[in-house]
Amino acid sequence: MKPSAEPRTPTPVKIIIAGGFGVGKTTAVSSISEITPLRTEAAITTASEEADRTGLIPDKTTTTVALDFGCITIDDDIKLYLFGTPGQDRFGFMWRDLVLGALGALVIVDTRRIDECYPAVDYFEKAGLPFVVAVNLFEGKLSHAVADIRWALAIGDHVPLVTFDARVKLSVRDALLTVLRTTLERATTAT
Amino acid sequence: MPDRDVSLLRPYLLTSGRTEPIDRNLELEAQVQTSELGAASHPSLTFERRDIVALCRRTMSVAEVAAMLGLHLGVARVLVADLAALGYVVVHRPPAALTGDPAMIERIIRRLEAIS
Repeated sequence: MKPSAEPRTPTPVKIIIAGGFGVGKTTAVSSISEITPLRTEAAITTASEEADRTGLIPDKTTTTVALDFGCITIDDDIKLYLFGTPGQDRFGFMWRDLVLGALGALVIVDTRRIDECYPAVDYFEKAGLPFVVAVNLFEGKLSHAVADIRWALAIGDHVPLVTFDARVKLSVRDALLTVLRTTLERATTAT
Repeated sequence: MPDRDVSLLRPYLLTSGRTEPIDRNLELEAQVQTSELGAASHPSLTFERRDIVALCRRTMSVAEVAAMLGLHLGVARVLVADLAALGYVVVHRPPAALTGDPAMIERIIRRLEAIS
């Protein structure tokens, strides 16, 4: 149990997997993570719509939001974490924590509920984080043309838009590679 | 799956009412490893601090600590930051300028491409 018996400590890096509820974030993380995705909860504080019954907390209420994550060992020195987060305005406080130091983000879209990913797209644009929009192909079909989705999301041509299947490991890998290539392009053009 | 009935008050009792870690920017993916001092001090620690020091004999992220011990993320961050300040754990953080390091990103891309 000596710490010195440990292998080298890897450098942790992360990619954020965002999108509305039920779009396939956890499925995507499960498909490629080498560990069974873990779930943890973060407390978030929101304005209460009704007075707290106990009277102890006058105008705020604390609720929790689940965060699912997994990881991929890149090599002996690098470990890539994937954090799946529900993209909702009211979780803004947690997003700041999540985005800090992230390589980029994958925003998953369900074409039946495109609007659910608006907060994520808005947030990453404002935060200046490289991101890719990935349309999850439920049952292998697209219910809108890709150009229509791009229009609906009002994202510029600099934001890659890909289709993928969150259940398929290599499909998730390719979507993550698109994120990394976007990050790389940003890194090389910035210098 | 964490316990749904976990009290919402409890997290703040654990951290003596503090909600911001000493190092407020401690990343969720930062790697936590029990130090020799931490391992030696294990018997004298109590509750979650003791659990963290025991758990992190195997290096893991702050997020994993939270998930394994059923702690809210914010609570795990505070406790880990406290333990790091006391020297009981060593925290390995992601490099600050990583997103601007093309060589590192290229390396991750190559390795990921090799996944089958």
